[in-house]
Amino acid sequence: MNTSLYEHPFVELNGVSKFYAGVRALEGVDFACRRGSIHAVLGENGAGKSTLIKVMAGVVSPTEGTLRVEGRACSFSGPSEAVSEGIVCVFQELSLMPDLSVADNISISDPPRRMGLIDRGAQNRRAEELLARINCEDVDPRMLVRELSLSRRQMVEIAKALGKNPKLLILDEATSALTARDVETVYRVLGELRDEGVGMLFISHRMHEVEALCDRLSVFRNGKHIETFDRGERTQDDIVKLMIGREVEHQFPPKPEPVARPAHLIVSNLAWENRLNGVDLAVGRGEIVGLGGLDGQGQKELLLALFGCLRGVKGSASIGGNNALTLSPAEAKSSARRIALVPEDRKTEGLMLPMSITDNLLAASFSRVSRGPFIDPQKAKAAVAAGIEKLRIKAGSPDAAVATLSGGNQQKVVIAKWLMTDPELILLNDPTRGIDVGTKQEIYRLMRDLADAGNAILFYSTDYAELIGCCDRVAVMYGGRIVAELQGEAITEEAIIAASLNISTARTAAIYAESGV
Amino acid sequence: MNAIINRIKPDDFPILIAGGFVVIILLAGTAYTMTVMGTAPLLTPNYLMTQLQIGAFLGIAAIGMMMVILLGHIDLSIPWTMAAAAMMATSVGGPAAIPTGLAIGLLVGLFNGFGVAYLRIPSMIFTLGVDTVLRGLMVAHTGGYAPQTEATELMRWLASGRVLGIPNALFVWAAIALIIGVVLQRTAFGRAIYATGNKEAAAYLSGIRTRWVIVGSFVVCGLCAAAAGMLLAGYSTRAYQGMGNAYLLPSIAAVVIGGTRILGGSGRLTGTVVGVILIVLLNSVLSIMQMPEAGRQIIYGTVIVGMLLVYGRNAKITS
Repeated sequence: MNTSLYEHPFVELNGVSKFYAGVRALEGVDFACRRGSIHAVLGENGAGKSTLIKVMAGVVSPTEGTLRVEGRACSFSGPSEAVSEGIVCVFQELSLMPDLSVADNISISDPPRRMGLIDRGAQNRRAEELLARINCEDVDPRMLVRELSLSRRQMVEIAKALGKNPKLLILDEATSALTARDVETVYRVLGELRDEGVGMLFISHRMHEVEALCDRLSVFRNGKHIETFDRGERTQDDIVKLMIGREVEHQFPPKPEPVARPAHLIVSNLAWENRLNGVDLAVGRGEIVGLGGLDGQGQKELLLALFGCLRGVKGSASIGGNNALTLSPAEAKSSARRIALVPEDRKTEGLMLPMSITDNLLAASFSRVSRGPFIDPQKAKAAVAAGIEKLRIKAGSPDAAVATLSGGNQQKVVIAKWLMTDPELILLNDPTRGIDVGTKQEIYRLMRDLADAGNAILFYSTDYAELIGCCDRVAVMYGGRIVAELQGEAITEEAIIAASLNISTARTAAIYAESGV
Repeated sequence: MNAIINRIKPDDFPILIAGGFVVIILLAGTAYTMTVMGTAPLLTPNYLMTQLQIGAFLGIAAIGMMMVILLGHIDLSIPWTMAAAAMMATSVGGPAAIPTGLAIGLLVGLFNGFGVAYLRIPSMIFTLGVDTVLRGLMVAHTGGYAPQTEATELMRWLASGRVLGIPNALFVWAAIALIIGVVLQRTAFGRAIYATGNKEAAAYLSGIRTRWVIVGSFVVCGLCAAAAGMLLAGYSTRAYQGMGNAYLLPSIAAVVIGGTRILGGSGRLTGTVVGVILIVLLNSVLSIMQMPEAGRQIIYGTVIVGMLLVYGRNAKITS
């Protein structure tokens, strides 16, 4: 083995920054990875891991800084150029076409050809070889991808990446959908690839995987590269601390003393498909309950289930003693339940962007400003003015399109729309994502005011600092259930992260005992 | 000049452009008749009234079409909804004729709405299928025996009669336009149509019953088509198969020329009315000019595409 090949970095980033419409995703990142090594990248949600690999794989180009491959400066105009340099990515969201066969998918970018036409025989043989390498002989290359289970699809995705002869293989949460047997196989294959001199960049939220597999670890936080070290140099606790950082970024309104509150919303054993697996939760009037955990552990589904958006929800939920589960948001917001949901993506779920501020504000409360079937222009105008006033929405005119507002003001429109319905249970799905600090603080203040006025608030956030600063209680979700409930002083970043990663079961059990659940 | 342009809302641009084009058509046609015949028949009230009377049938169908296009859907079953409503109305006859025709329109609309909103079948396919089924039903209806096809007195009076020199069809068109205009601007249902057409997910998550909105719009469209069909039968004194066939494309074109976004979410009723007038006058002037059918089709198509290009540029500038 030519070891000198592996001493110099294969890919090197210098001073790389990436801005999305003014929002910083990466800032001044220096980063390098070698061949013949498995390199883990760790960080909280939004730490910049995904942007990092998108830059390396040619999906996005950096705003500033340079990227070098084997010492040569490169600028990729697309993923295919990165592939030609040997940088291949297995993306978190599957990139397979469900209606094409496995063999078609594996060879999609460069199928074997004979006289200009695709050679199906060769294509199938190639797929068989690649699948055999990752112990997937049971997958017939002629099968359609959509007939495969999620785990098998992920394996096909890995086979597809191997077919591109990678020198650097980037795995973004590539093991999250795999069954235990397939995970073993992937570990073995990754080990073999390392011995063959392939470099790997491994992104995972599963701490034990990282510990078992990787030689080097890099920690990212807030778009910055914090530190890189060899395996074993740092303890798990140290790594968690590095991921959190120490800076306090937000100002939060003071929390009231914890008191026993009568439950307004009681959720018990709520289940949906395989995303929610028996959620038990209570939210009292005047209380802000945070939902924590990593992305995609069922938090979004829990909120949607309570808002009547999901079919086939099992278990029960009640509001003030009455059944809370409905089959439509229209019933969820009705006077019997008074639920409001500020959805995850304001641009596609919260707002009709080309429509006016007035139309957006009134969208949930037409019946309140109508006289009979007709909208009363006076009432509508007054309601809109009150909404704009209450949230201090900065807008030239209520007739301006919502699309012309800043992100923070757009989010205020969504919140104002729901406050106009006089809700009693307010579900918030990451309401401060991508908005400026000033507006964030206004939203925290507003949440506390709403709680003090006797509303029940269930608040999902990907930002741990928010959960700690805003919430009276935090329920951490993992794998579709609540694995820990933290209260008062017990709400610390260490405790939330530990519960999110589900690594310290003894400790979370202790917290359970403490909070008397 | 710029100050004036800035004060015009983006929604009104297409209406102004289409309105200007109507004037251009009239002037060009008049210039032609002045040179060839030495008269200006296009500018006489009688000619204009007759054109508007013919335009009323298209105008009513286009109002219905607009309701579904605002949602980003389309109703291709309009031709045979018109024919079926007219044929069933005439074969029932008497005072029950018009209610029967409207009931047909209501049923077709409910069925279309159900297929699109609940079965989630793309409206383009579903309504095309419904159109074909209706045609089959009407063929079967006239196959075994000869049903009455004579339009009733009331239908004829509404379509061809005049009050104070103004065609009654024009009153019907104006009344429907007024009602739908109020519905779109001033009722929760109307605002919900715009919201749903803009972003169905956001409308749904705002607690708007988007399925009901879709069904409601298709019902209005079916009712409008039925009304148009019965008026047309009254105008030509009888109902016949295929009577609605010439109305599908012009009704879509009128809506789009009037500035309604074909993907839904924005558009004004005034625009649709202006679009109908434009299409009717364009056809009429081209036939006065004795333009051969082929040339008329080419010009007609070019105008539609050309107007859309102009609107597209405006949208980019204003957004």
